[in-house]
Amino acid sequence: MGKVPVLKDDTPMKRIRTVIYYAVLIVAGIITLFPFLWMLLNSFNSEGNIFSVPPKFIPDLLGTKQAFDNYLRIFKEFHWGRYTLNSFIVAGSSAIGQLFTCSLAGFVFATMRFRGKNLIFALLLGTMMVPIQSTIIPEFLIMMKLGWLDSYLPMIVPSALVGSFGSFLFKEYYENIPPEFIDASSIDGAGPFNIYSKVYLPMSSSQIATLLVISFMNNWNDLLRPILYISSDKWQTVTQALTQFQSQYSAKWNLILTGSVLSVLPILILYIFMQKYIIESSISSGVKG
Amino acid sequence: MLIPTMIGLLIFRLGPLLGSLAISFTDWNMLTSATFVGLANYKEMFHNPSFIQTAKNTFIFSLIYVLGVMFLGLSLALLLNKKAKGIGFFRGAFYSPVVTSAVAVGIVWSWILSPRIGILNQLLLALGLNEVYWLGDPKLALPVVAVIQVWKMTGYYMILFLAGLQDIPDTIREAAIVDGANGRQRFFKVTLPLLSHMTFFVLNVAIIDSFKNFEIIYAMTKGGPQNATNTLVYDVYINGFIHFRLGYASAVSYFLLACVAIITIINFIVKKRWVKSQY
Repeated sequence: MGKVPVLKDDTPMKRIRTVIYYAVLIVAGIITLFPFLWMLLNSFNSEGNIFSVPPKFIPDLLGTKQAFDNYLRIFKEFHWGRYTLNSFIVAGSSAIGQLFTCSLAGFVFATMRFRGKNLIFALLLGTMMVPIQSTIIPEFLIMMKLGWLDSYLPMIVPSALVGSFGSFLFKEYYENIPPEFIDASSIDGAGPFNIYSKVYLPMSSSQIATLLVISFMNNWNDLLRPILYISSDKWQTVTQALTQFQSQYSAKWNLILTGSVLSVLPILILYIFMQKYIIESSISSGVKG
Repeated sequence: MLIPTMIGLLIFRLGPLLGSLAISFTDWNMLTSATFVGLANYKEMFHNPSFIQTAKNTFIFSLIYVLGVMFLGLSLALLLNKKAKGIGFFRGAFYSPVVTSAVAVGIVWSWILSPRIGILNQLLLALGLNEVYWLGDPKLALPVVAVIQVWKMTGYYMILFLAGLQDIPDTIREAAIVDGANGRQRFFKVTLPLLSHMTFFVLNVAIIDSFKNFEIIYAMTKGGPQNATNTLVYDVYINGFIHFRLGYASAVSYFLLACVAIITIINFIVKKRWVKSQY
């Protein structure tokens, strides 16, 4: 990287610029991270202390025996464990489903020739742009006809069965695999499914990780499908439960914020460990897609 | 091997897309059977003051969102396109709201912005100013929600611009330095023009993204106060699933689709031209 400006503390002028540079970054960082921190701190406040004026920056429960009171209550009184389990099942199954459908589709689009292939692929990518609101009413009617309302199925099946971004991701990668790989294994008499599962799929670990993480996050954070399809408490996801919480217990901010912390925690942990894949996918979906 | 994708595409994408179009020509509340009404829903839509406000709200939201994420995204990208200590941490931090659910973001910001107990209003009071009803004032609520969405999504656009900046060859920048161009000249005469393709694509992504504001509105204002934050995506939900006016809601959803389609087609045409002009 030739002359990318490197910050050095050579002269006083440069030193001042470095200070200003970091000051700007730190201010932007505070604006970005403060809401998370404020949410976390207030989840350790008691019901009375949370409304204190002026606000207390040190939560009153922290350091006492009751430190995790809000967390215990939300699990004991409000079935938070069940919601979390639901979210893991919904987001996990959708992600695994998408992995299979998308890697298969990517493999077919990259390696096979058949009539209408380009049209199907164009439709697949084209429908990526379609806002979900433009298809949700008939989708709701289908789910109703199938008798799937109030179950995991309507939250999992539509997103597990078809994925534009994922199919595109795998197609791009598989197209660039040299044909020698196919030929060698074809000679061994392997059918296309074996070639897919034994040769292609194992080579694409980075795409697999990307798709699993992105799909898991999207489904974990999804709101529209849960609020339309789920009415009974026991099937609610964390994201949906949070909105219910907000409208039913609007005065219990300590519990609402505790729920918020618990709802973002799994995603933030995933983000910290899988940052590379998440950020790369945002580039490829934004620029190429 | 393509069977799952084909089933998904037909049943959950293309089918419903045509289904919505068909329903938009009917009057239907799910209890009685649907009656064909031709273009009546579309006619009603364009004469309905509440729809006109919704379309206007969507436009204002989009304008604030697109300008906000593009300006801040590019600014952060320029700041981070250097080799300096701690850059990785800041990039990771700026991106973190992108992965967080809009519901959690909406809830936390509602708390920060709430009257009396919210920290922002307490800060204003401490400074001797009057408190502001950020989400309760019909004039303020829409821009405030749009700004929160900007806060949430800026990191995404920062990453897109960073990718564009890193594609600019160092040799060009070096040549500009050798020719004696100062920092500002380098930015406006070299970096920005070379980034123009990227900027155009990012603009398209941002416009289409700006329509997707259902979650943040659901979590922060539910379309209120007085319809002030009702946007197209939210209006489909309200008419379809609260008022059960499926025909009318489908018509609104097709209007939304038309907006997205126009942007996508423009993007497609311009992209094609540029690809040609390069060779």
